[in-house]
Amino acid sequence: MILPQFEYHKVQSVAGAIALYRKYKGKARYCAGGTDLIPLLKQRLSAPAAVIDLKGIDELKTITRRKGVLIIGANVTLFDLKNDPIVREHFPALFQSLDATSCETLQMRGTIGGNILQDTRCIQYNKSLEWRTSRGFCFKMGGKACNVVLNAQACFSNYCSDNAPALITLSAKVRLKGLKGERTVDLEKIFSGNGKAPFTVEPGEVLTAILIPLKKTEGVYEKLRVRDSMDYPLVDAAVSMAGGKARVCIGGIGPAPRLYVIKNMDENTIRDTADKAYADAKPVANTTISAAYRKKMVSTLVKRAIKRVLKEGGR
Amino acid sequence: MNTDLNIVGKRVVRSDSLAKVTGEARYTADLRLPNMLVGKVLRSPYPHARIVRIDLTRALKVPGVKAAVSGFDAYGIKWGVFRYTQDHAMLPTDKVRYIGEDVAAVAAIDEETALEALSHIKVDYETLPAVFDPIESMKDGAPQIHDEHKNNINIHVHIDVGEVDKAMREAFIVREDTFKAAGEAYAMMEPYAVVASYKNGFLDLWMPNAGPHVRAKALSNLLKMPLNKVRVRHINSGGAFGGRSEVAPADLVASLLSIKAGRPVKLVLSREENATSSRQIHDIIATIKTGMKKDGTIVAKDYKVIYNGGAYSSTGPIATSIPFYVYEECYRFPNVRYNGYRVFTNKGIRGMYGCHGRAFLAGNEAQMDLMARELGIDPAEIRLKNGLTPGEVTATKSKITSCGLKETIETASERTDFKKQWAKRSRNKGIGMGCVAIMCGFPMGFRSGSSCYVKINDDGQVTIVTGLVDNGQGNESMVIQVASEVLGIPMGDINLVCADTEVTNLDPGSYSQAAAFVGANAVKVACENARKRIVAIAAEKLGVAETDIGLKDRMAYVVKEPDKKMPISWVVREAFFRGDPIVATGSFFPNIDFEREWVSRPWGQMAGTFSFGTSVAEVTIDPETGKVTIPRFTAAHDCGCPINPMAVEGQMEGSILQAGVATITEGNLWDKGHLLNPDLLEYKVPLACDMPEMDTIIVSSRDPAGPFGAKEGGLTVRMNAYSAVACAVANATGALFEELPLTPDRVLKIMETKKGVKK
Ligand SMILES: Cc1cc2nc3c(=O)[nH]c(=O)nc-3n(C[C@@H](O)[C@@H](O)[C@H](O)COP(=O)(O)OP(=O)(O)OC[C@H]3O[C@@H](n4cnc5c(N)ncnc54)[C@H](O)[C@@H]3O)c2cc1C
Ligand code: SF4
Repeated sequence: MILPQFEYHKVQSVAGAIALYRKYKGKARYCAGGTDLIPLLKQRLSAPAAVIDLKGIDELKTITRRKGVLIIGANVTLFDLKNDPIVREHFPALFQSLDATSCETLQMRGTIGGNILQDTRCIQYNKSLEWRTSRGFCFKMGGKACNVVLNAQACFSNYCSDNAPALITLSAKVRLKGLKGERTVDLEKIFSGNGKAPFTVEPGEVLTAILIPLKKTEGVYEKLRVRDSMDYPLVDAAVSMAGGKARVCIGGIGPAPRLYVIKNMDENTIRDTADKAYADAKPVANTTISAAYRKKMVSTLVKRAIKRVLKEGGR
Repeated sequence: MNTDLNIVGKRVVRSDSLAKVTGEARYTADLRLPNMLVGKVLRSPYPHARIVRIDLTRALKVPGVKAAVSGFDAYGIKWGVFRYTQDHAMLPTDKVRYIGEDVAAVAAIDEETALEALSHIKVDYETLPAVFDPIESMKDGAPQIHDEHKNNINIHVHIDVGEVDKAMREAFIVREDTFKAAGEAYAMMEPYAVVASYKNGFLDLWMPNAGPHVRAKALSNLLKMPLNKVRVRHINSGGAFGGRSEVAPADLVASLLSIKAGRPVKLVLSREENATSSRQIHDIIATIKTGMKKDGTIVAKDYKVIYNGGAYSSTGPIATSIPFYVYEECYRFPNVRYNGYRVFTNKGIRGMYGCHGRAFLAGNEAQMDLMARELGIDPAEIRLKNGLTPGEVTATKSKITSCGLKETIETASERTDFKKQWAKRSRNKGIGMGCVAIMCGFPMGFRSGSSCYVKINDDGQVTIVTGLVDNGQGNESMVIQVASEVLGIPMGDINLVCADTEVTNLDPGSYSQAAAFVGANAVKVACENARKRIVAIAAEKLGVAETDIGLKDRMAYVVKEPDKKMPISWVVREAFFRGDPIVATGSFFPNIDFEREWVSRPWGQMAGTFSFGTSVAEVTIDPETGKVTIPRFTAAHDCGCPINPMAVEGQMEGSILQAGVATITEGNLWDKGHLLNPDLLEYKVPLACDMPEMDTIIVSSRDPAGPFGAKEGGLTVRMNAYSAVACAVANATGALFEELPLTPDRVLKIMETKKGVKK
């Protein structure tokens, strides 16, 4: 499959990226590692006039600590982040999610920014133009129906980032710089819940950094997949805990991760959280494994993750 | 091991390794010929539709387009392996029968132009009702896919030996279960590619293939060209596993385009096209009824097996039979009935697979364990009790010559402490065993044999010419090794010309496990004939009897006085002087009953010999998620004689992954006629990191007819590894599987609802 035609620009600064975006009147896509974007282009799921390569922006490649916050540049690769001693020591849930992301080859190319902003996925969506034309376009491609759920009113594509759920449990924020200036928001707030357009990120906004409060946590990331060497999550659960309080986040089902906050950890709260997460999860038949099973695994993984944190502190 | 061998039996570096690991080896997609065009195919968006009209005119007007074709440019000939299965036009003119079927094609100066041109081809269809499930397809009133086949039954293989019903009545214990398995994808590393170049009335072709001669013959028929004008050339191949055995639609398409354009055309399928539009593997539903005596002796088997055959016949009769045969070649069945139905549906085309038949084979083995357990017999014992031994004859009258089944069961058991582990199974841990036997070659009429020419060049180097083909398993290196042994000339001094239909002679190809047993045998005979000539001259020159001459390290020497010697190159030059250069031919034709026919006469000698093997899988199951992992896998394979043990082990290891680990990951998923996982992300081929710890055991039964005793290099593992995994899961859960692959959702279900044991 060959790429469609587009103009390619490599920029040196965030401002330069935004200026180019403006010049192309929004018909441009940012590219970091390209591991999510390039397949989308090849499959004609996106047809930008220009691709703006952010890899040359040095300021997005650093990891710094300032005022009790770890600031991770959006272009830091998953591999470098995984091997950062602070991540390993302070954020075990994130360390484990990074380690579980695809394979190491991809981790060396894929960035944390791109990982967070990767598009949602569906077994009926990530296909060639010919395949999708034959099947008929669904909501997410501009069509009038969902090809998985009959008479659905919305798109149920899955957000499959391994790392966003872990980051959410760590109360991470993201910094965005765009046509209208800069803002910093809680990571869980950038999700629209709409599978067609999963992010509330404004057109032209560049994700510049991820900010994590720098305090030691105990944590665990549980990921269910069929093939251990390389697979997107079928469902995943991240837990981070500090001072008796825990944050639990479920990913891999539906267009947005779901956060549950536990104020006092005990046997009942574990069960309640698992039950609540189970009730909230609405998987549909858009992965290789049945929806009923994925739903069931939500509570299994939540319980398992929390128990592991309590037992081993995530190590 | 023969200790008097210098090269055969040694762990030599394969002749193709260097080029492959450095990326120098050329594959079809790497070829660049002058003026070459890019071909692209327009495919059917419908599973079943009548073709009303195909209009290529606008596509031909796109600047840069040099040719466009549809089925109306072909010769109206349909292809099939047998006279009675000729139903595949490759480019249809009547109707399309699956999504992704080739409908029209263009050749243009580059890919963009070709893609643009495709969008200007106008095809009018009249859609027809479609059917995807074989059970539905067999019902009265189902959409008719081919007019000639009532109830869409493409092939019915019926075998009936002994008195099955009576034996079942008299059996101590009888059990019937149904097992299903999703069809697999070949998922070769190399997506299909063809280069066709038509010039001066000759058509040259390069493509990954498992039998150049049958490919050329099929194309000569489809193109109505004399066979000598169609020349399939040698090229490296990135995997076949059965999926490159037959002529492919892309072959016809590229050929027609090249003939039209008068320029070479390269057609490379995308990964997705490789899945949707080249062959896939049959989904299978196998109902297995077994009767046993109290002592575990199998007295009867009654089978009904349904194969989802997709849109065309392909290797239909063979595909419908092979799972049965590899099983009856392993065990003694005094009474057996087999009803195999291959049913047409509006799904993609299907062919044979190296791991063909997992629902049937794993089902048989897992069921046998459960019955044995009831009788207080363990899996190793029951297999030893029912396994065939040398000299026995199978239910359909194939004589077993060499047979190391017993040794494979025993060594695999010892190495894994099988009996003990099996007895102390727990909910989370299991061990299982699978056995099978594989025919080395099968009846292919006059194409069943192979021949080889050898010439010794003036510096003492050798050229061997054979129709044998290598799909990546190491056949080329294997025959070079054989020649090296016979002639006493290092492998590096031997050039191989193979798989080119113009210069080589017929060979059965590399899809019926005949490469070692038949192809290498022919090379050995040819080299022995050349050797006789060398020895005669050397004996004369060294003044000893011919029987006293040995050949080694480029030297002819006197065996009892090794210092008395002369270079083989001197011998060769002497032969040139005498006007009688050293050239020789050799051939091998296996002992097969050629009256045997897959449907009309399913009995008689199937092959010259059979390989045997036993796999043992150890699994752990996550009781909460149902996820299976395979920490350790042991495989014992009777290959007759390992010509290159390292290559045999490599085949065994690859098979452990492709059949064993695949049991928990691989299966095609469908949404009616749409293949949902035509990519390598959602079709989950196990990767290197998914490998278990592996123990490969080679058993040498020394086949009397095989070259140096060799049979075949590892296929048993491809056909018993899934059985071992399924049996191990059954051992842990105490229940049988219903469907493969054993994905976590299914395993969890097995654990939750154990199937009861019927009497
Ligand atoms: C084979 C395969 C397996 C995979 N498996 C997994 C897996 O198991 N788990 C998982 O989490 N992911 C998986 N992925 C997704 C993988 O693409 C991400 O993990 C990766 O981190 C994306 O990073 P990238 O830099 O390549 O993103 P890109 O492809 O460069 O970008 C992704 C998206 O983010 C946007 N973007 C990137 N950077 C910025 C920025 N700074 N500001 C604004 N927008 C930006 C791009 O426009 C694009 O829309 C897999 C991908 C492949 C190809
Ligand atoms: S969930 Fe439905 S709408 Fe969303 S991508 Fe899949 S098929 Fe399309």
